[in-house]
Amino acid sequence: MTTLVVAALTARELARRRLAAAAGVLTLAIVLFTAWGLQRLATATVEGAPITEPAVRATTAGIVLLLAFLFSFVVALGAALIGGPAVAESIANGEILAVLARPVRRAEIVAGRWIGTVAALALYVALAGAAELGVVRLTTGYVPPEPLTAFAYLAGVATVVATAAIALATRLPGTAAAIVATLLFGLAWIGGIVEAIGVGLGNDRLADAGTVAGLVFPSDALWRGAAYALQPAAFRAAAATIGAASPGAQPNPFLVATPPPPAMLAWAAGWTVVVFAAGIVAFRRRDL
Amino acid sequence: MNGAALVARGLAKRYGRVEALRDLSLRVERGESFGFLGPNGAGKSTAVKILLGLVAASAGEATVLGRPIGDPAARARAGYLPELFRYPDWLTAREVMRLHARLARVRDASRAIDAALDEVGLLARAGDRVRAYSKGMQQRLGLAVALLGDPEIVFLDEPTSALDPVGRSDVRALLERLRARGTTVFLNSHLLGEVERVCDRVCVVDRGAVVAEGTVDALVGGSRGVRVRLDDGWHEFDVAPDRVPELVARLVGEGARVHAVEPRQDTLEDRFLALVRSP
Repeated sequence: MTTLVVAALTARELARRRLAAAAGVLTLAIVLFTAWGLQRLATATVEGAPITEPAVRATTAGIVLLLAFLFSFVVALGAALIGGPAVAESIANGEILAVLARPVRRAEIVAGRWIGTVAALALYVALAGAAELGVVRLTTGYVPPEPLTAFAYLAGVATVVATAAIALATRLPGTAAAIVATLLFGLAWIGGIVEAIGVGLGNDRLADAGTVAGLVFPSDALWRGAAYALQPAAFRAAAATIGAASPGAQPNPFLVATPPPPAMLAWAAGWTVVVFAAGIVAFRRRDL
Repeated sequence: MNGAALVARGLAKRYGRVEALRDLSLRVERGESFGFLGPNGAGKSTAVKILLGLVAASAGEATVLGRPIGDPAARARAGYLPELFRYPDWLTAREVMRLHARLARVRDASRAIDAALDEVGLLARAGDRVRAYSKGMQQRLGLAVALLGDPEIVFLDEPTSALDPVGRSDVRALLERLRARGTTVFLNSHLLGEVERVCDRVCVVDRGAVVAEGTVDALVGGSRGVRVRLDDGWHEFDVAPDRVPELVARLVGEGARVHAVEPRQDTLEDRFLALVRSP
């Protein structure tokens, strides 16, 4: 009950502070810009002849992957900037004192902030993703193979970053927690590239360093899951061919040969539970 | 022990090398108005936070309304006004109250919210966003939150620090109503005159330790005679209270014109300063 009250407060805060409205307006601008660009692409001509449909689809598929990466960065940044301050601001301004003087448990506060943040971001992923893929389909007729799976992976990215930001915010100021969570997201992304380079060059140390970065912060594996779900068959085949030439290598973050294995998904889920629990323990031990 | 509103035994708090609180033992009876006094940094707010489970004690134990501190149920019938706080400025005062009513599981929340807001004089401004409130109004809102649901014990940490003289007078009247209602009041305040007027008992802490405790009268001490204003100014006389009429009669009999008579008595402030300034 208390958890849901706090979750509702978190969601209402986003709406009331116009953050949701600002994100909505900017997302709409991106969607409209995409629609304009893709419309131009679909009707463009090369030397007087219209671009072939396979070429339009392949180009669109690439654009969709880049857009998905843009949105993964937006939701990661949003998760850090919403999750961190959601906990830390109420501590810094003393609001938490009157709240915790009620018959509530600190774990309920952390859980409520987490649910509110993750639910808001998941809703954003669903709405923005549906709008973006909707205009892609309307303008070019292209539909990526597994859009709902991609949305789930992007929500997973948001969950990992929000969990880290909230856990850190039980001890750090909100801005510091948000910056550290965003840096970890970036580190994991670079770690994924380092791992691929290491495997490609046969350098075990580089590959291991990338693997460790991906395990310490499992957002990159989830991004690759989203990318795989959005790739058409031709992209997957190309990625597999490159992977076969250099076994185990992922050529780049936008061309993924395989989805994350179940063990990696289990690791990401376990990581989330452990970091969330660590945040609760840290908050319970904190003097306010 | 169960009859008391609050019992603390040997509470201590250490932050690294700093000893914020040392061996605090207290007993506050139900319905009592208890003043907790001390200079800045004496450990008053730390003590209140320990009693509400907001800060973990380094040593000692305590119960609030018969339940050990740290047990959320101990806070079910308690209200708290922190010394420094700011409610979310994007909420209205009524929304802040509604949030706390849900957290405290207050029955008949609408009526309770109206009653608490009315008690602090904010009912007419209940629909305004907190960002439009002055500092004094925010403090009144904090008081309303503390009083929500008619708690059995309220912890008020400097409840008048942001209030103007009218607000302070209102809070004094409010404290008197709480006392009449049988609510236990634990009052941290720098305003000694306020404490002297509304508290049954006081405890003075300094540098983390209790330096005096008792009723206000016992702390202040008895009468030390009277001051009498005659035509040529004030004169002091060491007489027992029951001999004052005879003193006045004698002065008048001797031809003096008596304009005023008042007891010579230490104020709580005199006693407080003597206690906290002693080495």
